[in-house]
Amino acid sequence: MSHLVAELPVPTGTQPGRTGRGGRSRQERLAYRILLPALGTVFLIVTIPFVIAIWQSITSDDGTLIGLRNYTRALGNPLFFDALRATGLYASIVLPTEILLGLAFALFVHRTVKQAGLRATLYVLAVLPLVVPPVAVGVVARLIYAPGYGVLNYVLQSVGITHSEIQWLGVPALAMGSVASVDIWQWTPFVYLVLFAGLQTVPRESIEAAQVDGATWWTQFRYIELHYLRPLFLLILFFRVADVLRVFDHVYILTGGGPGTATQLLSLYIYRIEFRFFDGGQAAALAVMVLVSISILYSLVTRALPLERA
Amino acid sequence: MRSRQAAIAIRLILIVAGLGVAGFLYAFPLYWLIATSLKSKAELYQSITLFPRHPTLQPYYSVLFERGFWVLLKNSVLVCAATVLVTLAVGLVITYPITRLTVPPSLRVGVLNWALSLRFLPPVAVVVPYFAIVRTLQIYNQPIALIGIYSLFNLPFAIWMLKGFLAEIPLELEEAALVDGANRWTSFRRVLLPLAGPGLMAAATIVFTFAWSEFLFALILTATPNSQTFPVGVQGLVTQFEIIWNDMAAAGVIAMTVPLLLMVIGRRYMVAGLTFGVIREK
Repeated sequence: MSHLVAELPVPTGTQPGRTGRGGRSRQERLAYRILLPALGTVFLIVTIPFVIAIWQSITSDDGTLIGLRNYTRALGNPLFFDALRATGLYASIVLPTEILLGLAFALFVHRTVKQAGLRATLYVLAVLPLVVPPVAVGVVARLIYAPGYGVLNYVLQSVGITHSEIQWLGVPALAMGSVASVDIWQWTPFVYLVLFAGLQTVPRESIEAAQVDGATWWTQFRYIELHYLRPLFLLILFFRVADVLRVFDHVYILTGGGPGTATQLLSLYIYRIEFRFFDGGQAAALAVMVLVSISILYSLVTRALPLERA
Repeated sequence: MRSRQAAIAIRLILIVAGLGVAGFLYAFPLYWLIATSLKSKAELYQSITLFPRHPTLQPYYSVLFERGFWVLLKNSVLVCAATVLVTLAVGLVITYPITRLTVPPSLRVGVLNWALSLRFLPPVAVVVPYFAIVRTLQIYNQPIALIGIYSLFNLPFAIWMLKGFLAEIPLELEEAALVDGANRWTSFRRVLLPLAGPGLMAAATIVFTFAWSEFLFALILTATPNSQTFPVGVQGLVTQFEIIWNDMAAAGVIAMTVPLLLMVIGRRYMVAGLTFGVIREK
């Protein structure tokens, strides 16, 4: 039986079962045999486009090398900076709003709602917007803001707040607000869910001790709960920034990037360069720059994330 | 004493008002979508009505059959189902060795980190090269192009979710099968897979939901109704010259019904999936 025992899985973390000094166990060899083909294939599928993008960015359409000309064109395009500005503005509207609102709801529900049934209902209600396709959310927004048939103007006019038709999608600031409101509607529940779950991990004893000492709800939050939520804020920021960079669907549906370039976020801009201006070289240069910046950003923040990697 | 009571009363009123506004802002958009989808064409041309006067399912019929969107619905289901199969299969092949076999911890961490980094990849940055690849391979306007790309982009979620589920199944159960003379494949198929069933189901619903919602690649890589997915059809209703609001709303309702139904199964795992397992089910 002894040869069989050597094959048995062992608790992870320890390394018995090795056949010799520096040698690999049978299990490890099996693991590599399974992993390598799969990982290799996925790695190729991910990497080849990146190589192609770099190649496209330094060649012209007929395949001759043109150096960094596409990059200078991409960086020399004022629309690029409009797109960066729009993306930054969008992020600076939606991220703080979502985090503050989500935090407020999480704290409120955590403090006031004690019934398990009601909490479960709120959980389902919060998950709901997350699974609605952004295209459908864009349709809803269109029904609300669109000129002519938008219900928002109808409501505002019938309560007498305004008498004229407000161009929600026709004025740059309002259009940005409309587009951002869609994001806030869809993603505030995500922040709520994460922070609410975080609040459940705060030990009850420390809260009770603080209350005995006469802590107000603010000091209780500031000195105890915030401590437990801090890594989660980082996590939320990480995922939401990644998502802001990929926002496309609802903006495309709602404003198409307009009026002018007011809501032309980075993703819509690259799309437009490639599929409206058919400028593959410039689009590739943009794609490479985005990929490089994302990789740098990613490597900076990833270690700080509270993820279970074991 | 009275001023304190007044302060409490004011605070209560503010809280109730705040919750009322929040509830309204949350629910009204959904209500309005459904209400609009139940209006008849005649009602659209009158002034706006907050409640449909004569609710009708005509817009749904019009979208699905007169406009032929049921074909897009079929395409979407096909693409999503195939994506789920590919993603889970590849996900299992990658997570099985790192959770069930003795491997150096650095390998496990490396694989998981790498999967996480894929989550950060903005699709629009790879749209340009993928478009070139798809045209070179001559799979433009074919479902297979979407299936491949959706599988790739959903793989990070699948890997992290499956890793969580597989790690929870005691190693002893598989060991017992091995001792009884089963080989690894049999013990994987007969012991591990059935135990991982609920987890696989959860991952499947979430991958299906994400694939269902995808729009950018579907917009770029398909051109005809034979391969377009449902969101692309919805988009077509929005951007055409004259918008038929009730049809558009009906299409929106159909688009969100499928993920909502799936949520009945997957809701407990939704947040775990979105946060890569940081927030576990409750």
